[in-house]
Amino acid sequence: MSKSTHDVSNEVVVRTIVRKRLTLRSLVREEKFLYVVSLVVFFTIWHLAATRGNGDSALVTPWATLQGLYDMMSSPLGGETLVGHTWNSLRRVLIGFSIAVCFGIPLGLLLGISETASAILRPLVDVFRPMPPLAWISLSILWFGIGEEPKIFIIFLASFIPSVLNAYNGVRLIEPELYDVVRVMGGSRWDEIKQVVVPASMPAISAGLQLSITSAWMGVLAAELVSSNSGLGYIIILGMQNSDPQMVLGGMVMIAAVAWVLTASMEKIDMMLCPWRREIKGL
Amino acid sequence: MEQSAASNAKIEVRNLTKKFGDLLVLDRINFNIKKGELVAIVGPTGCGKTTFLNCMSKLTDTTDGDIFIDGVPADPVKHNLAFVFQEPTALPWRTVAQNVVYGMEVKGVPEKERAERLEYILNLVGLKDTADLYPNQVSASMMQRIAVARAFAVNPDLLLMDEPYGQLDVKLRFYLEDELVKLWQTLNSTVLFITHNIEEAVYVAERILVLTPKPTKVRAEVIVDLPRPRNFLDPRFVEIRRQVTELIRWW
Repeated sequence: MSKSTHDVSNEVVVRTIVRKRLTLRSLVREEKFLYVVSLVVFFTIWHLAATRGNGDSALVTPWATLQGLYDMMSSPLGGETLVGHTWNSLRRVLIGFSIAVCFGIPLGLLLGISETASAILRPLVDVFRPMPPLAWISLSILWFGIGEEPKIFIIFLASFIPSVLNAYNGVRLIEPELYDVVRVMGGSRWDEIKQVVVPASMPAISAGLQLSITSAWMGVLAAELVSSNSGLGYIIILGMQNSDPQMVLGGMVMIAAVAWVLTASMEKIDMMLCPWRREIKGL
Repeated sequence: MEQSAASNAKIEVRNLTKKFGDLLVLDRINFNIKKGELVAIVGPTGCGKTTFLNCMSKLTDTTDGDIFIDGVPADPVKHNLAFVFQEPTALPWRTVAQNVVYGMEVKGVPEKERAERLEYILNLVGLKDTADLYPNQVSASMMQRIAVARAFAVNPDLLLMDEPYGQLDVKLRFYLEDELVKLWQTLNSTVLFITHNIEEAVYVAERILVLTPKPTKVRAEVIVDLPRPRNFLDPRFVEIRRQVTELIRWW
């Protein structure tokens, strides 16, 4: 273990580096090692389950799933390759999600800062909150037909409520003393909103964005499963109709991959929106 | 304006009264503070010290009476009031430097002057090395130093401090009390310092106002004419501390 000390602003900073020896015991406890073990065990079990029996299993091996993905990327299905279908789903999500957060976040902030707005609008939010977005599918098809609009409407509903509620809760949880800092300096109500309400609720808003994008992704797949001729949900339905587990699993893997990319992107956005939550090494 | 033009006081508190329903908390409090004076206020627990400061800072409306700064009723928009709260109130999304400069931004201090004053204050309180860190990356004492630096940075007409060091250990408290005295002497600010710690009041203040229990009035005024730096073991220091203690125990 090495140790060094120095002063920062008259306070002592002690920095220690502990070097661990690599032993079997420490390896077994290593997080990254366990991460790899977990994935290897999962894919092995998947492979064994798929290769059991006489080859007529409804499950294909991980390798065959990857091959199926490659085939779908090179040869079109329903007029589009896998990339085209993925983009169709993603485009719907991005449109519905963007509309939802553009309306949802300001509405949530308004509910948080205005008791009157809260009294008028909270009951409506509370009525719609427990209603699953999928319950709207039939009605949205009746209203908008079978084009893009009903899918975007479902995505909007799926991501709107988390955006509203997280922004609202973000404002409600602000420490009252932070408002006093602005008031005592002679700041206006607008200063309070600009300097305290918006930045202080940003971590909650960001958490709401992550929930919203996940809900939006689930919403688009559900909408595509019910009625669509493009998108990843459509591929799964097509695979089911053709009894092609390779296509179904390929679609599922793509869904998981895109969801992972979306989550990782939202984490990056979170770091941009709330840079003060980052840690600086050594302090 | 009932303010007397002949008065040379920077701050005048006249018949300051606060009621919550039928409960009389502050009962016609009167006192003056001269420009550049550091006055401490002590009183028994629950006497309404925080309500008193909230009225002084205009965070709470008074029931009667008013506070005058240079003869004009105090107004956070017109005057430079600054407040150091008991709890650390650094804005978490601003770096140390951005927190210190915050009051000057609200007050509309020109950018060039703002940068110069920021540099000066950061050096004065020793926060230069941590200027780019966020509050969650500094210690509790540094958080309070950020609040103190932010308050002094606006060149306040009146700086109100509500037991700012009450939650820190003795060593840090001594260090920060010395720092406060240095800032006050250097910047010639007018400070009203509330504390329940009598030793702290005698150490930092030029004058101590002793409050009564509710309904709160100013019970007595004690002048602390000790040379600086002050010594806790100086017999006169001990005598003033005893005198203030007796005044609080009187009830």
